[in-house]
Amino acid sequence: MITRRVQYELIARAAGPLLMTINRWQGDLKRAVRRVTGRGPARKAAPFGPPLESTRKLKDLMTMHYLTGRYADGAVPVAWVTSGFPVEILRPSGFFTVYPENHGAVCAVRRMVPELSEAVEKQGYSRDLCAYARCDLGSVVTGKTPAGRLPRPDLLACCTNICQTVLYWYRALAEHFKVPLVLVDTPFVYGEAKPHHLQYVRDQLHELRTVAERVSGNHVAPEELEEILKVSLAGTRLWDACLKTGRTKPSPWTGFDSFIHLAPIVSMRGTEECNAYYRILLDELQDRARRGVPGIANERVRLLWDNLPIWFNLRELATLLAEHGFNFVCTTYTNAWAEAGGLIDPADPEGSATRAYIHVILNRDLPNKLRTMKRMCTEYDVQGAILHSDRSCKPYSIGQIDLKDRLAQELGIKALILEACHADQRAYASEQGEMRIRAFMESFDQATPS
Amino acid sequence: MRRAIIREQQARGRKAVAVLPVHYPKPLLTAMDILAVELWGPPGPPRGPDAGRLQAYVCAVARNALAFLAAGHADVVDGVLFPHTCDSIQGLATLAPDFGGWGKPCFRYIQPKGEERPSSRAFVRAELESLAAELAVLTGKSLETAALRRALELHTEIDRLRAALLDGRARLAMTDRELYGLLRRGEFLWPEDHLQELKAATGRLAAEGSAPVQTDLPIMITGYVPEPMTLFDHLRAAGAYVAADDYAGIGRRVLRVPVGEDDVVSERSERSARPEAPPRPRPVSDPFVALVRQSFEAPPCSTRSANQDRRLEYLVGLYRRSRCAGLVVHVPKFCEPELFDVPAIRARFAAEGVPLLYLEGELEADLSAQAQTRIDAFCEMVAAQRRRGGRAAGGTRGGATGGTRSGATGGEA
Ligand code: SF4
Ligand code: SF4
Repeated sequence: MITRRVQYELIARAAGPLLMTINRWQGDLKRAVRRVTGRGPARKAAPFGPPLESTRKLKDLMTMHYLTGRYADGAVPVAWVTSGFPVEILRPSGFFTVYPENHGAVCAVRRMVPELSEAVEKQGYSRDLCAYARCDLGSVVTGKTPAGRLPRPDLLACCTNICQTVLYWYRALAEHFKVPLVLVDTPFVYGEAKPHHLQYVRDQLHELRTVAERVSGNHVAPEELEEILKVSLAGTRLWDACLKTGRTKPSPWTGFDSFIHLAPIVSMRGTEECNAYYRILLDELQDRARRGVPGIANERVRLLWDNLPIWFNLRELATLLAEHGFNFVCTTYTNAWAEAGGLIDPADPEGSATRAYIHVILNRDLPNKLRTMKRMCTEYDVQGAILHSDRSCKPYSIGQIDLKDRLAQELGIKALILEACHADQRAYASEQGEMRIRAFMESFDQATPS
Repeated sequence: MRRAIIREQQARGRKAVAVLPVHYPKPLLTAMDILAVELWGPPGPPRGPDAGRLQAYVCAVARNALAFLAAGHADVVDGVLFPHTCDSIQGLATLAPDFGGWGKPCFRYIQPKGEERPSSRAFVRAELESLAAELAVLTGKSLETAALRRALELHTEIDRLRAALLDGRARLAMTDRELYGLLRRGEFLWPEDHLQELKAATGRLAAEGSAPVQTDLPIMITGYVPEPMTLFDHLRAAGAYVAADDYAGIGRRVLRVPVGEDDVVSERSERSARPEAPPRPRPVSDPFVALVRQSFEAPPCSTRSANQDRRLEYLVGLYRRSRCAGLVVHVPKFCEPELFDVPAIRARFAAEGVPLLYLEGELEADLSAQAQTRIDAFCEMVAAQRRRGGRAAGGTRGGATGGTRSGATGGEA
């Protein structure tokens, strides 16, 4: 335990940051050499604006996060957590948190999901189940991960505010690791949350505090929780401010960038590192917005994206759209982490966390989703929308056919339903998808010749 | 037929509510003079174009229900109740009433997920009271405690008879098709009428200890809803009958615990470990307490996110008690709750040496030719294993908790 702790601290405080610095120097050096000699990989004329400087910092931050994670088990308590879990309650107990969904996204970007999924399909897991779940369970049974190694959990923390799938998935993890599973079950909100629904969640947060203290062995003083909530609220606001820079014309970044830069608010919410990063990103975005530096070179048509990204096809899709001057300036998915978290009130930890975590977009009815989408369409001044019909994620996809029609009828938004999967490339016919997107883009030119 | 029954009940001053699967507090509805008419799809092709408003990767139960509601086929009922079963029904419960497809009153019943906890116990009670208050608006009269008590007793009696028929399956002179037809009439009959039919059927049970009436291969079935019902015809033609049932819509809704109110948790767990214990009605002073308990004491169900170990123990116990010779896993395509339990069921029964047949369906009107062939092959395999003297878990004489494998190896058809 002591050795693990020493190793962990060493990585977190010294070796890790040193490694990052060396990496950065190497990168800077290579770029300088390329500039001077004019040699190096030929860069295609990209349809994008200048790349975001912050991306390198993001890479460092996430690399450090996963690197320290490798040494976390046995050193500090480790929790595997769903993306919508009220993680603020766990943080003061000193948990290192792993987000299998974020890890799933990394696996998907690296196109590893089919391989990992096949490992559990052999055990009888259906390909019709959420690809994140299959990928994570596959990673657990094979030990394969692009992160090198994920720390073994002491606690599995699951909140059903995004879907019920996470509960089945985490139950399987609990069975595998033989560790406790703590559940925050959030009644779905039709219209307004009923008082007893709020009370139920609040009671569970209370139960959660007890479990967190028992598993970690750390008692938490009320001020510590308040402090974390303050940090979390500040992080959410920073993220929100970053997203809102997309309202500028041209937008200083793309929705695809925002998918990538979402990682800290998902995985490190409630930490100072997360907030420090978003301060840097926000400065850069605001500066670009002021100077008119665009996310894509020629922003002609502004779009909204609904649902998770198609992680394995992010670059191709972004390029295809950008080449024709189409830019995603907002997405319901990235917005989800800016919206509900704003309800946090450090002075009322359990009450406000209850309200915040029950009111996430996936836990609310379709009229709420339509209102959110319409508001975003107006505030970001978009002309079109792509609704990713994600066969892996039913809760996010149900209702999209009606939503598309309503956006068209009520706001005149042209919308496309694009059938795919967020993580498993076997479920996406890329050529067909590309053809549909091309036809979608052409429909704008027919309507408004540029 | 359902329409006529609904109209007849309405003529008696009752309301009728269509109910989506799976679990809901039926005694509460009965006590409030509300006829529950369950809507499991319905099976067959969607009865209306609105199924297309849900993507093809959403299960047929949700898609068909949307088509059915939106096409006006359920307009005879006075409202719809959506239990919080899964993400798909949760989505349907906002899509149909909010975006078109259902214009009459709409109720939701949220059942807590996961293990029983103090928070979930308190929540169930509040949710039941809230539902009762909403239903009172529909009926125009509030719930009476005495009526709820009577309804609980009525449903306990219904469950006792359903359990007797299912548990005494080998001694029951009915085909599977007849038995399932009877049990499924409970999905739309007024409970007292259903009770009379059940009583009549128990008369076809041979005395305990007498030789089995059913001589075909006894198999266990676990799944969601027995659709298409022709499945039973094919099983029969292949020489098998269902000796143990774990359909979410059938066996998993038969409560086998007495109605009481003061039991402590430890007693409760002890009882759940002995699901064969027959229900014994006991006086209840606060019927809501009994309703709350029922919601946690039903047999483990995937849609309640039951503890998987407990579910496996329950299934193995049921299999052994019923002396089955094989297991059919019959689940709807795209059904996350059911599909997530399949690997564990497969692994556990494989370890027990039990032959297993996995069938996935979309509420088709009949099984595909391929599925029929697989049923034949499965039954042949089970028969061959029996002839070889292979005794899987069900063949042991160890009762519910005892029994070991005798070296037989299972397989999958
Ligand atoms: S992708 Fe959808 S189904 Fe999968 S874990 Fe996320 S919210 Fe749940
Ligand atoms: S079949 Fe499964 S997914 Fe479909 S409604 Fe029923 S529980 Fe939900």
